[in-house]
Amino acid sequence: MKSLVEKVFLIEILRGLALTLKKLLFEKPVTIECYDKVIPQSYPGFRGRHALVRSELTQGPICVACHRCERVCPSKCIYIKTVEIEEEGKRKRQLAQYAIDASRCVYCGYCVEVCPVNALVLTEFYQYVGENREDLYFDQERLLKNWDEFIAKAERPYFNPFWKPKGIPEELFSIVKRKAKGV
Amino acid sequence: MSLVLEVNKKQKGKDSWEEPFYLNMGPQHPSTHGVLRLFLELEGETIVNCDPIIGYLHRGIEKLAENLNYNQTIVLSDRLDYISSAANNVAFALAFEKLLRLEVPRRAKLIRTIVSEMARICSHLLWLATHALDIGAMTVFLYCFRDREWLLNIYERICGARLTHSYVRVGGVRRDFEPEVIEELYRFVEEFPKRITDYETLIDTNRIWLKRTKNIAVVSTEEAFNLGLTGPCLRGSGVSYDVRKFRPYDAYSEVEFEVPIGQNGDTYDRYRVRMIELRQSNWIIKQCLDRLSETEGEAVLAENSPDLLMPEKVREVSAQPHPKLGVMFKPKEKEIVPVGEAFASIESPKGELSVYVVSDGSSRPWRLRIRTPSFVHISAISHMTKGHMIADLVAIIGTLDIVLGDSDR
Ligand code: SF4
Ligand code: SF4
Repeated sequence: MKSLVEKVFLIEILRGLALTLKKLLFEKPVTIECYDKVIPQSYPGFRGRHALVRSELTQGPICVACHRCERVCPSKCIYIKTVEIEEEGKRKRQLAQYAIDASRCVYCGYCVEVCPVNALVLTEFYQYVGENREDLYFDQERLLKNWDEFIAKAERPYFNPFWKPKGIPEELFSIVKRKAKGV
Repeated sequence: MSLVLEVNKKQKGKDSWEEPFYLNMGPQHPSTHGVLRLFLELEGETIVNCDPIIGYLHRGIEKLAENLNYNQTIVLSDRLDYISSAANNVAFALAFEKLLRLEVPRRAKLIRTIVSEMARICSHLLWLATHALDIGAMTVFLYCFRDREWLLNIYERICGARLTHSYVRVGGVRRDFEPEVIEELYRFVEEFPKRITDYETLIDTNRIWLKRTKNIAVVSTEEAFNLGLTGPCLRGSGVSYDVRKFRPYDAYSEVEFEVPIGQNGDTYDRYRVRMIELRQSNWIIKQCLDRLSETEGEAVLAENSPDLLMPEKVREVSAQPHPKLGVMFKPKEKEIVPVGEAFASIESPKGELSVYVVSDGSSRPWRLRIRTPSFVHISAISHMTKGHMIADLVAIIGTLDIVLGDSDR
């Protein structure tokens, strides 16, 4: 009997319609009018566009050219050139050119994690496009510029969660990282 | 090309009226869930034969892994089943940890369990959305994507990425949960069962849904074994097999959950199994969250776990200095990981995902073999579709829950 009533009066379909009607009338829409009114913000630690931290002292990158990020990169998209210079009688290695090919990057964030001096960061900025390949090939200048653009809007002091991930034993970090407070 | 020739050969010298109709479905067809191509032999609208053709998304992940060290390989695993990358990460990490004989801290285990159950919910929601859309229920699609978005936002807070997480690393996880994440997850597990009820109101008893799913692609228990089905597809046929129960990994041995099974092994039963799994996953997350507070402040990475940047070679200093040449460096390769092999399998949302790794002592896998559920399930399509209509084919692809990135690797 019950099943006959359900069959004739389309009970289950009406129930479904009632649900959608209820949602339509009494609930806030979940969709947002993107880019006209609201720009969705990413959470801290989002792995977005790359940047090289600009040192306040030298106005250049703080990278020490240790090649760790280059070696850890799973897609081999970091290119580092170094020069040897003489300074006070000691031979030193210095960064000549640093480049990241963002079109090959998989945004894993390993490079940020292994850098011993927190020189590299994947910023939370994600709205970037390139019209050709060159646009996504970030050389040193571009990477520093990315940092300037990002830090102008970010909260100071800025500390990327991947520089010193929470919960990882302290002794696995370099001294610089252990002491780092943010820029 | 060869297929076209084959068709021509078959059609030659026959009366065209008696000919079966050959049709290519895919690889760009929207309801083949990716780039699956189906070569169909039809009689009217009934399928006589169906040949799945895969390989359009082959990236050579097994080979690529041979050139990357163990931690970097985890990045590749994101790209297997890109809907539930956290679960794949766990499978890889488990195999490597067995090889390296690492003991993962308890907090990391709990966190891994949470993220893999979140991956299960994400994957099942996406499955429900697309399956319902294929069959014709648009509203469910929108509701599911709304809730999946919530989970993806939580993932973004946890690890900074929405789809390709690379969150697990060999020996633990990469980052501990922030307190806000735990709050947000609590909010999610409170709210989510209500949402499941909503989906069920919409389609569970809907007569169109029942007509499209009941008695479609019935797989008996024996057939399911023979076809090598795993996961919800096997459980829908009435076999209570779940790797989480039979070979518990991570924190699954501490949590309680039920393994749902179906009776008839049809599309509707598999749908029910997945719906119950959504509730069970929700429950598992809740239990893990409760336990997470017990381990507050613990490390999430084993102490002897390898660095992200694993050394390629370790130079050994010979024990006795040479009398004339001083200390000798022998450029001998020391074992970075023990020589041997390891196998791990997990219950990924789609079925059983196994990873087998052979090591030759260097920091890179000598050989990595991945057994993915989608690959096996695709081979079942040809058996399951026999005698069904073309319209049901779409439901069958949906019910198997395949992802082509997973099958082609
Ligand atoms: S995020 Fe990963 S892929 Fe991209 S540059 Fe860094 S290490 Fe390489
Ligand atoms: S790891 Fe850091 S310091 Fe070393 S080369 Fe890369 S950016 Fe420079």
